[in-house]
Amino acid sequence: MVGAIVDTQALWETVVAAFVGGVGTTFIFSLAILGATRFGEASRDGRSGAAAAFAALALLGLLATAAAIAFGVIVMTTK
Amino acid sequence: MSETDLVLGIVVATALAFDFTNGFHDTANVVATSISTRAMSPRIAVGFAAVLNFAGAFLSLEVAATIAEDVVDPLVITTTVIFAGLVGAIAWNLITWYFGLPSSSSHALIGGIVGATFVAAGADAVFGEGILGKVLVPAVIAPVLAFFVGAVGIVVCYRVVGRQRPGPVTRGFRFGQVLSGGLLALAHGTNDAQKTMGVIALALIASGHLGAGSDPPVWVIVSAATAIALGTYTGGWRIIKTMGTRIIKMDAAQGFSAQGAGAAVILASTHFGFPLSTTQVIAGGVMGAGAGKRISAVRWGVAGNIVVAWLLTLPAAALFGALVYLVTDLFPVAVGPVVVAVLGLAAVATVFARRIRTPAPAPSG
Repeated sequence: MVGAIVDTQALWETVVAAFVGGVGTTFIFSLAILGATRFGEASRDGRSGAAAAFAALALLGLLATAAAIAFGVIVMTTK
Repeated sequence: MSETDLVLGIVVATALAFDFTNGFHDTANVVATSISTRAMSPRIAVGFAAVLNFAGAFLSLEVAATIAEDVVDPLVITTTVIFAGLVGAIAWNLITWYFGLPSSSSHALIGGIVGATFVAAGADAVFGEGILGKVLVPAVIAPVLAFFVGAVGIVVCYRVVGRQRPGPVTRGFRFGQVLSGGLLALAHGTNDAQKTMGVIALALIASGHLGAGSDPPVWVIVSAATAIALGTYTGGWRIIKTMGTRIIKMDAAQGFSAQGAGAAVILASTHFGFPLSTTQVIAGGVMGAGAGKRISAVRWGVAGNIVVAWLLTLPAAALFGALVYLVTDLFPVAVGPVVVAVLGLAAVATVFARRIRTPAPAPSG
């Protein structure tokens, strides 16, 4: 009965979108912080190759986080 | 000015007053985690949230449509019913604010409207299926979902950065909280300001100023956005303290995870038109971020009190809404709302005077 009243498709999509969006954003931002932290250490140790790789990780993580936030706003405004 | 216009004016003013209390009451949801982890100073956090709440109110109208059409029959209810529902919701908001409980303004509003509609127009005017499908089921699912998103998020986060030096990690997540807090404030504005828009639209439909199924006019959107932003800027320090420090002792990563979980659940729900409680969602995210680190990190006694307030909100606000309608209905059409509004303002002044004499421990900064 509840299944007939509740829009289960919309509810399911809400659950999946929230889970992927919430956990995914936390994950990619954590990667950005990992990259930034390790970049500092690698730079101090003079490991330029590793420093460049961690800088790229930090930058990509930040960009992905910004993209996730922008996507959230776009999804909301286009309904 | 006709009697109908006078009552409509009182209803719109009351709806905006509710919107103000909504921002005031729910500021805690948006800023508490940022303040408790020192990602932002209290004043900056509240100002930031106010601006983004204002902006968020313009982004979507899905929830407003749900409030205006799916909960009660817009064609049989009157402006007096809506007024009574609003006063019931404001009363419950102020009671829970007085005791520092982060209850749901959304459910208070829906409960108040449903209670007043029930006594005024009978059970047939209340859409049971709409309440179950659009309000009650999402109300159960959303905080549980936020809990799990927050818990999984913090576990993932600790896995990635757990072995790094704490100083840079904390600074990084404090910066992240500016982003996640901003998104949360935006999401809060889209979800909560729309409830007031929906109610004002309902009043305009009931008074014949707007066709059923129409979007709220621009002046309604602007005034609702302004009221919630002003309420947010005024802040509710009591609930900020409960949400920010009493449920869990939070680090910056947990704050980020809780805010990210809350924003994701609110944005997704707003997209599909579910008018959920931002309070419940963020409290769920905060508890999840605590439990994901260690189950015993959550003060389950405080969490239990919050859950009791959640369970009481719909029926209590419905009861208040029904009582206010019965009192308002004792008087002629235009007189009832005026009498109740004056009595309500006197009650609010008394409550504030008592609170000022025993002030909440406002955070510094």
